[in-house]
Amino acid sequence: MMSHEPEPSPTTCGAPLLQRGFDPYRDNAGTLVGIAGEDFAVIGSDLRLSLGFSIFSRDQSKLFKLTDRAVLGSSGCWADCVSLNKFLEIRLKTYGFEHNQPMSTKAIAQCCSTMLYSRRFFPYFAWNILAGIDEDGKGAIYSYDPVGNFERVPYQAAGNSGPQVLPFLDSIVGKKNQSNPDKAPITKERAINLIKDIFISAAERDITVGDGTHIIVITKDGLEEIRLDLRKD
Amino acid sequence: MFMTRSEYDRGVNTFSPEGRLFQVEYAIEAIKLGSTAIGIQTSEGCVLAVEKRVTSPLMESTTIEKIVEIDKFIGCAVSGLMADSRTMIDKARVEAQNHWFNYDESMRVESCAQAVSNLAIKFGDNDDDGTAMSRPFGVAILFAGIDEKKGPQLFHMDPSGTYVEFLAKAIGSGCEGAQQALQEKYHKSMTLKEALKEILVILKQVMEEKLGVDNVEVATITKEAGFHMFTKDQVREVIQDI
Repeated sequence: MMSHEPEPSPTTCGAPLLQRGFDPYRDNAGTLVGIAGEDFAVIGSDLRLSLGFSIFSRDQSKLFKLTDRAVLGSSGCWADCVSLNKFLEIRLKTYGFEHNQPMSTKAIAQCCSTMLYSRRFFPYFAWNILAGIDEDGKGAIYSYDPVGNFERVPYQAAGNSGPQVLPFLDSIVGKKNQSNPDKAPITKERAINLIKDIFISAAERDITVGDGTHIIVITKDGLEEIRLDLRKD
Repeated sequence: MFMTRSEYDRGVNTFSPEGRLFQVEYAIEAIKLGSTAIGIQTSEGCVLAVEKRVTSPLMESTTIEKIVEIDKFIGCAVSGLMADSRTMIDKARVEAQNHWFNYDESMRVESCAQAVSNLAIKFGDNDDDGTAMSRPFGVAILFAGIDEKKGPQLFHMDPSGTYVEFLAKAIGSGCEGAQQALQEKYHKSMTLKEALKEILVILKQVMEEKLGVDNVEVATITKEAGFHMFTKDQVREVIQDI
């Protein structure tokens, strides 16, 4: 305990141990926010694709339109996100051929989970939020971890700024920590404006958020897209 | 058919010059030796009924199982070689559970028929995993169930793997007489209770033995209760009614 000699490095049969690295994941960041309403769901992503201090693209939405009532947002390792969504597209198409109907949002939710879990021991580095309209016409947000654990939630934030944004949503949408909050369900306009504000604020604090935001509103009538510019620095 | 018999009935994958697959046609003939099974689709649900051939008083009639549950909302009645039917029922059950696992919803009746059909036409394939049959299955199946969107549905599948939706269908040895009777009696506004009664009346007509609680199996599939196999007492109740 008294000696300050450095610990001997681990050896194998006297020779120094060679450590080889395998680092297949890149964090391309990206932030996702989803809010479910009575008869709509809104999901937004930023448009910046980055790696560390490098910006790869200023116009890369992380939202994937799966059906006319479901949109998946994927952030994390962009290559994994693209791959996952291509396989998902195949699943959606074959489901349509086999069962003569488009996949319901609930079915897509379960399908995403099994696809992610199938890679349990070499996971896709992807944080996903699924937004859609369920069979009863109600708005739905499903939140995932990279290995497929999922839950239906009223709102969710994920990706690089997720941890900063979620407490804000808890307060404003979830009405947590408020005395006598107005418990009326959130309106579509309010949800859209909230997501716009969230991205403007996130761009101030998080260097991976910026350039623009892509918002998709899902209602029974289909998808409505909104784009908003954000600061470019 | 037997007049044109030739060497072309040897291989299961060999077409005759007239464009026929004799082994498949023979398999369809094999169904006509099987016990009669009838299915009726009504707006309230589906009814299945089969005759059980109890050939000896020493036989335990409950071990003859010709109506089985596939999933909560799908049941099927079979006629033909029972051993073959087990393979197909197993396939249907596995597919239904797989569908639930992957999509968190119950499988559609038609998708179930499609899955079993894929197995039925695998005969003659010599693949390495040993799943293929060397001959067509000698089984006809009635799939009855509830589709979440379309409501009650009844599908008939023959050994060639062809499946078609029916409002009412009879298979097995008494199928011709029973199908004729169904055509006369069936109407679209039939209630489940009427269908239940009618199905046993028709079965009674085409059965060689006297209809009783020990030689008939009855099941219904409804949106409310799912697959329901009738107990002997429940069968007795229906029989007393006719």
